[in-house]
Amino acid sequence: MNENEIQLKVQALVDGELTGREAEALQQRINDDAKLQHLHAKLTQMRGLIADSELPRPLPESRDFYWNKIAETIEHEKRAGERAAPPKPVSRWLLRWLAPVAGVSALVLLLTLQQPTAPDLGITLNSDHELEMSDDEIDVMTYNSDDDSMSIVWLDYSMDIQRDYMELWLD
Amino acid sequence: MPSVPDYSTAKEPQLVNWAKEGDLQSFEELVSRYRDRAYARAFSIMRNEDLAVDLSQNAWVKAWQRLAQFHGEASFPTWLNRIVTNLCLDELRRRKRARMDSIEEIEEATGPVENRMEIQEVDPMERLNREELRERIDAAMAKLSDNHRTVLVLYEYEQIEYKHIAEKMGTSIGTVMSRLFYARKKMAALLGETLKRDGLIE
Repeated sequence: MNENEIQLKVQALVDGELTGREAEALQQRINDDAKLQHLHAKLTQMRGLIADSELPRPLPESRDFYWNKIAETIEHEKRAGERAAPPKPVSRWLLRWLAPVAGVSALVLLLTLQQPTAPDLGITLNSDHELEMSDDEIDVMTYNSDDDSMSIVWLDYSMDIQRDYMELWLD
Repeated sequence: MPSVPDYSTAKEPQLVNWAKEGDLQSFEELVSRYRDRAYARAFSIMRNEDLAVDLSQNAWVKAWQRLAQFHGEASFPTWLNRIVTNLCLDELRRRKRARMDSIEEIEEATGPVENRMEIQEVDPMERLNREELRERIDAAMAKLSDNHRTVLVLYEYEQIEYKHIAEKMGTSIGTVMSRLFYARKKMAALLGETLKRDGLIE
C-alpha cells in the first residue's frame, strides 16, 4: 500500500467502513505510527465538526407562494397523466369486441360488393312487361312491353338448324 | 378520516396516511412542516437560492407521486431529503455534461494539490460557539467544488455508505474515498485560514 492508499484506509476506519480483521490490522499499524495517529485524530475531528453543521435555512419565499407552485404542478401532472392513461376497463372491453366485429363486417361487405351482377341490358322489368320463355322450345325467348309498344323475340340458331338450312339452300 | 381533520395537530404518520389516500391538504401540512429542511438540503448542495427553491419544490411533487412507495422505514423528512438530494445530483450531472472539468477536478485526478496539502491544526471548538462554527463551516462548504461538496453532504448529512454514494454519483468507491478525503482536507485548510484571519489561531 502506498501512502495515499493508507490515508484513504485510515479515513475508511474513521468512517466505520472497515470492519473485522482489516480494521484490527490497520488499527495496529496506526498505534505503531505517530504520523498515522495524527491523521486519524484530525480526520476524526473533521468528521465530528462537519456531521452536524448543516445550517437551518428558512425558505426565501412565502408559504403560500411556495405551496401554490407545488399544488399547481401536482394538478397539472395529474391531468397530463389522465390524458396519457390507458383506456378504462369498459372501453378496453368494447375495443376487444368491437375490433373483430368491425373486421368481420368489413369482410362481408367486401364479398357482397364483389358478387357478379347481371349485365345491364337497359331493360327494366315491371308489371307492364312480360318475358316469355318457351318450355319445349328453349331456343326462342319473347319480350313484350305495352309501355314501350314493342316486342322482341330472340332466336337461337343452333348448329343443327343452321346445318339443315344450309342443306336445304344448297339443294 | 374524520370529517374535518385537524391537520395542524395531526401526527406525521397520520398526515402521511391521509396524503396517501389523496388528501392534498394533509400533504400541504407536511410541506409546511418540512419545507425549510428540504430547501436547506437543496441549498447545501447547489449553493444557489433559486435552484434550491425549484429543486425542493420538484422534490415535493415527486414525493406526492411516490407516496405509495413510502413505508416508514425512515422518517418522512429523511425520505423527502433523499428525493431532494437525488434531484440535486441529477441537476449537477446535467450541468457537468454542459461544461468542462474544473481545474480542481483535474488536480484531484493527478493528485499534486492533495499530496502537498497538510491537514491544518484546527481546534475551533474551544474558541467559537456552535452557531458561529456552523456558519464558518457553511461558508467553507460553499468554496468546495460540486463533487467535493456533494460527497460531503451525502456522507456527513445523509449518512450514506461509500458504496451507495458511488452508485448515486455514478462513480467508483475509490473515487468517493478520494473525493471525501480531499474535501475534508480542503475544509480543514479553509477553516484554518478563516480562523487565522480572525486572529483565533496563530
